[in-house]
Amino acid sequence: MIINFLKKVFLIDLLQGLSVTLKYQFTHKVTIQYPEKVKESRERFRGILRVYRDGEGKQLCIACKICQKACPEDCFDIEGQKNTEDNKMRPVKFDWKLYRCSFCGLCQEACPTDAIKLSKEFRMATRDKSKLFFTLDQMYSDYDLNKHFRGESKK
Amino acid sequence: MSNSLAADLIIPIIKIIIVGLFPLIMVMVMVWLERRVVAFIQLRLGPNRVGFQGILQPIVDAIKLFFKEDITHTGVDKVLFNISPVLVLFSSILAFCFIPLGGTMQIGTYNLNFWVAESPVGLLLIIGISSISVFGVIFGGWSSNSKYPLLGALRSVVQILSYEIPVAFSVLSIIFFSQSMNMIDIVNRQKDAGIWYGFMLPVSFVIFWISVVAETNRAPFDLPEAESELVAGFHTEYSGIKFAYFYMAEYAHMVLASSLAVVLFFGGWLPPFPNVAALSFLHVIPGFVWYLLKIMFFLYLFIWIRGTFPRYRFDELVRLAWKWLIPLSLLNILVIAFVRSFA
Repeated sequence: MIINFLKKVFLIDLLQGLSVTLKYQFTHKVTIQYPEKVKESRERFRGILRVYRDGEGKQLCIACKICQKACPEDCFDIEGQKNTEDNKMRPVKFDWKLYRCSFCGLCQEACPTDAIKLSKEFRMATRDKSKLFFTLDQMYSDYDLNKHFRGESKK
Repeated sequence: MSNSLAADLIIPIIKIIIVGLFPLIMVMVMVWLERRVVAFIQLRLGPNRVGFQGILQPIVDAIKLFFKEDITHTGVDKVLFNISPVLVLFSSILAFCFIPLGGTMQIGTYNLNFWVAESPVGLLLIIGISSISVFGVIFGGWSSNSKYPLLGALRSVVQILSYEIPVAFSVLSIIFFSQSMNMIDIVNRQKDAGIWYGFMLPVSFVIFWISVVAETNRAPFDLPEAESELVAGFHTEYSGIKFAYFYMAEYAHMVLASSLAVVLFFGGWLPPFPNVAALSFLHVIPGFVWYLLKIMFFLYLFIWIRGTFPRYRFDELVRLAWKWLIPLSLLNILVIAFVRSFA
């Protein structure tokens, strides 16, 4: 009773509140400074589709067009040709339409050789619709998307 | 001849310009500091892109506000609508004439005073002049011809009138000890007493500070501008540069309140322990710097309090003033008068 009264008189609860905010002023901030630092994506995040090569840099895609059939949005337009070197079908045309893609990941699941995967890249905003259309050499995983969308090669 | 012209005309004009600009510069600092400190409390970073750590942010904000469209909607009482932002800002800047920003500095044979005007009733004048801003608030709310500004203005008037009384009483306890209402004398008496009045009269200071936070319409007493209830209170209908005037006036009032707290309770331009010989090296730092350091602490306290406490309900606000602060300040003044006359 007396202690509570003294607490009120000396504004102890208010001072406690102030000490909490003082402490918070010097703790680590949660803000991520976006263009300089990019937050790491979640494990199952589905970003833009990329075509991958195997470890030795050899083409994985066999132009089987299963992804084209699996795609519910009709994003793909693939044409293949038999390669004389390894006697396998290889794509000569691999057109992919980002403006149709819904990032469902069915193409990735359907691919028998793991040649196409949805990457973690999420920065796909652009003012030019023609940049939402990708041809074969733009589909490879080492293609510079920063330059493609924003005209700068800074990563 | 030329010497006296400089002393009588040029130096006062320069002083007036500096004192006119000082609150506005502090306002710019405060706009930046408030956003940064509140952000830090909320674990954010706040504006840090424009200039080093965002210090140019207030300039950018001001340029944006000055170029925005100045809307005067229909049904507005034009004279009052246009005069109220000026009244609010002008009253707080005018009060700075009587605030000593530093001590007397001797340059050759000339004594440079760091204040514009010295008045035997300076304290009374400051309290009077700063009360003019209530008229700005109520004119602004009334002439807007809109219900939210009117409600905000009414709240603001009730609040400012209620909290003016404890401020006056706590200031009165200072006058008991200093026996002067001259701001310069009050500081000099604190030097003679060897102790700042804030440590001698802590109850007065706490009452003064709570009331002054309420009087400047700051959180947790920012009922007139409670955005969840009243959009933006009395300045809802203002835009562009007139809104900027209200905005600057709020911060200028905070600077004024901090200056009052420093001069009355914490020794103005005096360094800490002005009479201790071992600390006499502190006198090397000019008085203006000490004053600035102290008001920065109190301005920071304003922001800190805003970042900490939730807003009061209106009945709680009025009850705090009339049931707690006014009786307490009356009792306080009674005790002080008793001690002063018999001890």
